[in-house]
Amino acid sequence: MKPPAAPGVLRRLRWLWTIGVSSILGLLGVSGVLGLTGCKAEPPADGITVLLEAPPDSLDDRFALTANGQRLAALITPGLLAFDDTSQPVPVLAESFRDVSPTVMEFTLRPGLTFHDGTALTAEDVKATYDGMRDARVRSPRVERYAALERVEVVDARTVRFHLKHPYAPLVAELSAGILPAERAGPEGVTAQGEHPVGAGPFRFESQPDEEHLTLVPFPGWYAGAPALPRLRFRVVRDETTRVLELLKGRADLAVNVLSPAVLPVLRREPHLRVLSRPGTGFTYVGLNLREGPLADARVRKALCHLVDVKPVVEHKLHGLARPAGGMLPRAHWAWIPLPECQYAPDEAARLLDAAGYPDPDGPGGEPRLTLSLKTSTDRLRRSVGLVLKEQFSRGGVRVEVRSLEFGTFFEDVRRGRFEMFTLKFASVMEPDLLRGAFHSANVPGPENHWGGFNRGALRDTVLDALLEEAARLPREERRRRYGEAQAWLSELTPVLPLWHEDSVAVVSTRLEGFEPSAHGLLTPLARARLAPESAP
Amino acid sequence: MKRRLASSAVALVGALLLVSLFLRLVPGDPVDVMLGEQATEVDRAALRRAVGLDLPWYEELGVFTRQLVTGELRTSLPPFQRKVLPAIGAALPYTLALTVASMLVALALALPLGVAAAARRGTVVDAAAMSASVAGVALPRFWLGPMLIIVFSLKLDWLPVSGAESWRHGVLPSLTLGLALAAFLARMTRASMLESLREDYVTVARAKGLSPRAVLWKHAFRNALLPLLTVLGLEFGTLLGGAIVTEKVFSWPGMGTLLLTAIEKRDYNTVRATVLVFTFCYVVVNTLTDAAYALADPRVRRRS
Repeated sequence: MKPPAAPGVLRRLRWLWTIGVSSILGLLGVSGVLGLTGCKAEPPADGITVLLEAPPDSLDDRFALTANGQRLAALITPGLLAFDDTSQPVPVLAESFRDVSPTVMEFTLRPGLTFHDGTALTAEDVKATYDGMRDARVRSPRVERYAALERVEVVDARTVRFHLKHPYAPLVAELSAGILPAERAGPEGVTAQGEHPVGAGPFRFESQPDEEHLTLVPFPGWYAGAPALPRLRFRVVRDETTRVLELLKGRADLAVNVLSPAVLPVLRREPHLRVLSRPGTGFTYVGLNLREGPLADARVRKALCHLVDVKPVVEHKLHGLARPAGGMLPRAHWAWIPLPECQYAPDEAARLLDAAGYPDPDGPGGEPRLTLSLKTSTDRLRRSVGLVLKEQFSRGGVRVEVRSLEFGTFFEDVRRGRFEMFTLKFASVMEPDLLRGAFHSANVPGPENHWGGFNRGALRDTVLDALLEEAARLPREERRRRYGEAQAWLSELTPVLPLWHEDSVAVVSTRLEGFEPSAHGLLTPLARARLAPESAP
Repeated sequence: MKRRLASSAVALVGALLLVSLFLRLVPGDPVDVMLGEQATEVDRAALRRAVGLDLPWYEELGVFTRQLVTGELRTSLPPFQRKVLPAIGAALPYTLALTVASMLVALALALPLGVAAAARRGTVVDAAAMSASVAGVALPRFWLGPMLIIVFSLKLDWLPVSGAESWRHGVLPSLTLGLALAAFLARMTRASMLESLREDYVTVARAKGLSPRAVLWKHAFRNALLPLLTVLGLEFGTLLGGAIVTEKVFSWPGMGTLLLTAIEKRDYNTVRATVLVFTFCYVVVNTLTDAAYALADPRVRRRS
């Protein structure tokens, strides 16, 4: 069959023309449809735009369990104290605090504090907040963390005392909870606080039209004076590539810990962006199963530790944005002690493996001394780190099979002890009592703690148990020594292979000045930031 | 038509059964999975009640259906149990707009391209159109989306990167979603046109002395549309699925974003309701496709 049209240049052009016109009509159609349904005016570019990777689970500190929820809540409803980069408590709404006795802590509030609604913040509000938090009807998921708190006593309008059932220094980590107006602290105030949160923080809630957007404005009554930024716009952008593109386009001014190291070189090249980093508190490690098999032998664990060379991994996989770790606590932490780091030492590893009964059957290369499995999630970075470790172990004669599992399955296996080795990360290490959670024999996951204990490798050591229990009872100043001993002993036991502490990384536009990233990835430094002079309206 | 409606109803009920019960079919305690490690006994009991896991499955299904129909359905997780329907009501127009717009993009590109390729089979036009369409089918959306952003937003500075503040925000997502479909449709159009051009009635029309253009569009194209309609109806489902990826890339506040958020939050009721709405859209569109058949083809009209 012949084509129905006569040949000729003109006819060909007409086809092209038809295609062109139709596409334009199509695009106009698109615009029409979208114009009818989704037309809102573009927001004026006052203030700064902060990118989030997921919406906050709640702006109410009593319910926020995600990092985003807690960081945003800290802007609206700060607590009596907060934690600095060394994880030491620093007063916020409190002016000062002291230990009256091992079981009584006293806080003095700053003078003239007010909530966003103009009412005064007094010791009564503090008491109401902590009473509400522990009220079963409020159903705060944090209630169990206050088990050691007996009662809160109002001494006078600016003084409040926390009475403990027994000496328990780690409670201080829980006294950063956001202070609410007394009438919102009880079960009947939960809805109001959820819809329109009120606190005494540097920024006041303005609007949250949907899950993806949140606007805060400066609060003139903030004890340190109104923040200089005219407005904070938080925007949820789930796709990492899109977050990068928004930053490149100049439509976003701040992104804290929501970009992977691999994309940062592109952003560093932009003149209108700065990449700021500072040593962080997230701890990445290889968990080992001490229940049975070769890893029950401390010599094998130490040998593995000597086979891992963390520095090249940090340099190439993390683009230098991490610090090799000697233990769980980061270097800047108040309780950190210098430990004889587990150095890369293949000869020492070989000696230890020989002693433990795993001789090399046929010299370097060839058959392995022993075979282990390593489970990771399917996350690209975690998997590629797993493969590097496999290579490093194999040089020391330890064959490792890397298995990547979907996160739900992976995590379930880790909790139930179905692993030999795994890689995971503690998102933030602040309170050293976390060592007790991670290594005390009472915290081996089991039915009694709903498989929720963090001691997933099942380390059971009576000396360590005693040290960690005592450290939790001692007054704050004396804890450091005990935690030092505990860290040294842990380093000897090697229940995990410490890898690194990831840096806290903020990408900041040149419009935003004076933003100092915190080790914990907090947003509170926004209270002291300002707009660059040329971009101010 | 009655048969058609009945089978749609069966599909909907099936979907309702599946999405309501899949939680019971998977091994393990779903409440553990949903609440994670730090949950208290109070929370677990509350969640069990909220998603109806304390009831036998048939009662739970009844409760869920009744709540959904009366609009009383609330999100699963304590303490804030918001109503689900307003969230869906806010998100659905965005997804529909995106789907319709990308459908238009696809049609506007695919029909002329496919017809041109068929009419000029074996020429440069044909080869070019079909190579373009192979490329279009092969490109994944999570790649195409950022590429379009880089070209049209960063380099040319014509359009915004992401969000949904104005119609201009919708252009790139519609293109992303529409281009892949256009590529596929163009191939279908070409194949369908070739078949139609071989038919006797085309020869008759041409013998009658009609202009080549009239033969092409009035006789061949009209008949070639029928198989295309079926494909279009089926592809609507692909578009809805693709919308989830595209909405994520462009931060488009539609049903895909709602579903992703709900899955992250393990908000079981919203997940169920969202999946049901997706199913409902799909069934409705396919029923409409059948109705459109009658419009396009007088023979079908006469039979029913």
